[in-house]
Amino acid sequence: MNFKELSIKENTIKQLVTDEINKAKKNGIDQVEIFCSYSNSNEISLEKNDINTSSFAEETMYGVRVIADKCQGFVATNDSTTLYDSILEAKSIALSQGTPDVAMTLPSAGAINDVAGLYDLAIDEITPEKLLAIVTDTLESKKDNFPKVNIDSGDFAISKSFKLVANSLGVSASEKEGALYASYMGMAVDGDKVGSFDYDSAYGREINQFKLNLAESFNEFLENCMRSLEAIQIEGFKGKIIIPPRAIQGFLLGDLISSLTAPMIRKGKSKFVGKINQPIVSELISLNDNPLIPNYLSSTSFDREGQPTRNINVIENGILQNYFYNTFEANKAGIAMSSGSALGGASSTPSCGPRQLQLNSGNTSLKEIMNSEAILLNRFSGSTDNTSGDFSGVVKGGFLLKNNEKIPVKEIQIAGNIYQSLNEISAVSKETKLIHSSSLMPWVVIENIDITGI
Amino acid sequence: MRGFLKDVLKDESGFVELRYHKKEGRNFVAEKGRIENSTTRKRTGVGVRVLHQGTWGFASSGEISKESIKNAIQVAKKNAELTASVRLEKINTLPPGNFAKGDFIGESIKEVLSKSIEEKINLVLDTSSKILSSSPKLQNVTCGYAEIYEEKAIVTTDGADSFFSLIRPEFRISAVASENGNLQTGSESVGVTGGWDCLFNKSPLEYGELASKTAIDLLNSKFPNGGKTTVILAPSIVGLLVHEAIGHTVEADFVQSGSVAAGKIGAKVGSDLVTLCDSGHSEFTSGAGGSIPVDDEGILTQNTVIIENGILKSYLHNRESAQKFGVSPTGSARSWEYSDVPLIRMRNTYMKPGNSTLDEMIAATDDGYLLEGPRNGQADSNGEFMFGVQKAYKIRNGKIAEMVKGVTLSGIAFDVMNEVDMVSKEFKWDLGSGYCGKGQPAKVDAGGPYIRTRAILGGVKD
Repeated sequence: MNFKELSIKENTIKQLVTDEINKAKKNGIDQVEIFCSYSNSNEISLEKNDINTSSFAEETMYGVRVIADKCQGFVATNDSTTLYDSILEAKSIALSQGTPDVAMTLPSAGAINDVAGLYDLAIDEITPEKLLAIVTDTLESKKDNFPKVNIDSGDFAISKSFKLVANSLGVSASEKEGALYASYMGMAVDGDKVGSFDYDSAYGREINQFKLNLAESFNEFLENCMRSLEAIQIEGFKGKIIIPPRAIQGFLLGDLISSLTAPMIRKGKSKFVGKINQPIVSELISLNDNPLIPNYLSSTSFDREGQPTRNINVIENGILQNYFYNTFEANKAGIAMSSGSALGGASSTPSCGPRQLQLNSGNTSLKEIMNSEAILLNRFSGSTDNTSGDFSGVVKGGFLLKNNEKIPVKEIQIAGNIYQSLNEISAVSKETKLIHSSSLMPWVVIENIDITGI
Repeated sequence: MRGFLKDVLKDESGFVELRYHKKEGRNFVAEKGRIENSTTRKRTGVGVRVLHQGTWGFASSGEISKESIKNAIQVAKKNAELTASVRLEKINTLPPGNFAKGDFIGESIKEVLSKSIEEKINLVLDTSSKILSSSPKLQNVTCGYAEIYEEKAIVTTDGADSFFSLIRPEFRISAVASENGNLQTGSESVGVTGGWDCLFNKSPLEYGELASKTAIDLLNSKFPNGGKTTVILAPSIVGLLVHEAIGHTVEADFVQSGSVAAGKIGAKVGSDLVTLCDSGHSEFTSGAGGSIPVDDEGILTQNTVIIENGILKSYLHNRESAQKFGVSPTGSARSWEYSDVPLIRMRNTYMKPGNSTLDEMIAATDDGYLLEGPRNGQADSNGEFMFGVQKAYKIRNGKIAEMVKGVTLSGIAFDVMNEVDMVSKEFKWDLGSGYCGKGQPAKVDAGGPYIRTRAILGGVKD
């Protein structure tokens, strides 16, 4: 399906959705919203260093939200022929609740500006045959250069999609996207020795961006697999860890961001209630959520409720600037409108959160950071509690940096409290790396971490 | 539906597999006297898989009509043709399987589906409100009920011809306790294949009381000292261990990629006390959350003995891997929704009970920990695993002492299995509210007895 065909499909579904909303309004249902996601993808999956399955998938999902008696009912379906029945069912679910809240309303329309580069027309030239050629080249390069690494599983795909949202109060927005993506998981095996598994992914809006991203991430993945074969156990100590760009969002920021969403604040489940304009983390940290960057993978001009997205300053020099709101949470907090931070798709009601975090670079060179004695994290496999901030888990694919040596390590655990650790950041690198084609992240050093070894 | 699918297939040549899958889920969540979420999700379609020119092709259709499924078959064949020339290891044939024939209607479907939305909403509203008001230290209580109703029909050109239906209700509650700016969470959850009687072995309020007690107790707990130590693992942690750290390594696709279990059939991988199985059925007690009568290749599920008295006996197979290993398929091919390709997955994974009692095990432990209630868990290709633990109690001189927080357990799975020296008589399925992730989710369960072994506990440095 090319851009023109996708546009025709988009217009057909837009008309269907508009008709059903108008029919509902005529029948007295005055607050109804339909979020629709359509996607088609050609995918080639890998297993055991070989091609496994070639597949094609196409589906349209509809998420129908009705607000009646100040309660919300929601039905998701992939059956367009029963869309009006879904509206009636969502209304019935809303009416059965009996817990009205005046804050529960749909939003009205806001001015939306398109984000450039979400659908590069050049992607229409990528046929399944061309995708297959990339897959076979990738497998060949692994076979030649990293014969000990086994690709356990992987996927390569071309995806074309659109999302649209419309409601009975005048919201109407749609956006098309095209992307190439790949993911791979595997491990190195040398005789009886089995390394730790690793995984990575690559994305691109067009083929050259995708190939560059793929070459870099696939090579890093293969090297990580090989290094883990040589990993050794070490004794525990209390010291510093270095968080690389790929682990920033999952390990360092995950709990913090969750605690800055409006529902966590409203329900008293966050440590950061009432902390706007107060220092909450090290002054070395400045963080924003920017869904408006052209070509980035998670960029979008509107959120789950059809509200315009914007660049949100979250933390500036350690000072908290903003929480993340959807319409309901903004109403509850007495704020004029949402921050465009409603997340979700056709299968779920709008939640709240960031779409595309960017962590500012710092003043320390990466070389200086890597010269320190520390554990360099690759992945964190562990347990975190976003309410308390307590974390504990295993360092995967990590290294001990000592005396200018980089020693692969295994079976070491780290434990502590992430909110405390965010205040014990001693350095942020000047250098940054684009992660998942969507987030620029630096390297970050944290002090005083309990490291358990043998 | 079987008749319709067979009619679609009647003129097809070669191997074609049609899988009709209707899935309806409902979810209700209450918090602070209000329904926070009340949703229904319906997804129905047919997944089409072909074995054509020595490789797999797949397509799916959300429209249930002869024309659209026929079209999907052609797309799947075209997909197979695309990659056939570059696939290195061709699949020439599939082994005959123990195909399920006929209809397999799940228990308690009518009972669960006939309960009104209001009844399910009141369940979560009442429970969350009552528990929240039970202690001034509780900041918040979230209570959720969910159910998944499924119908599947699997028909293939080589003889599979079955239909099954089932219902899986789940109940979960989590409490946040607060004191002097310190916030802690406790949670309980249960999920079964079956009805509400099966789901509520304990009453909703009892689950809530356990969750709130955990949150309050954690307020004054400290991190343990890290290092290798003696641990008694509760059935929920045993379940996580046998699922994550052993089960994944014996999935035949992972074995062929070189998992730590590769080439170890017949080898000693655990102590004599260790017998470990994966079953499509609910062994010992009813309701295991991963139960399925038929897998997604139409094979009758069986109870597969993976480890017997410490010796590795079998991997988990789909038809393709069974052909490669020269064994019978174990009924382990599963797909999450109609548009997903079946993968080798676990169902209900467990360790067999032994002869000790929990009390005897605690009394026999001078210095160690009792670990209950997983927060999360992951395992590695080399057998290294890590589990987050919600409730951990120090054992001193044969007695349970204080609770500690932030505990993770790690080790090498087969080493931990080799150090098992006590196994209890008690048995429990305890991961029925869990989902396994392997590219696509799967509803699984796991459990077992209490076991005593040694592993690394994450904690602080003295």
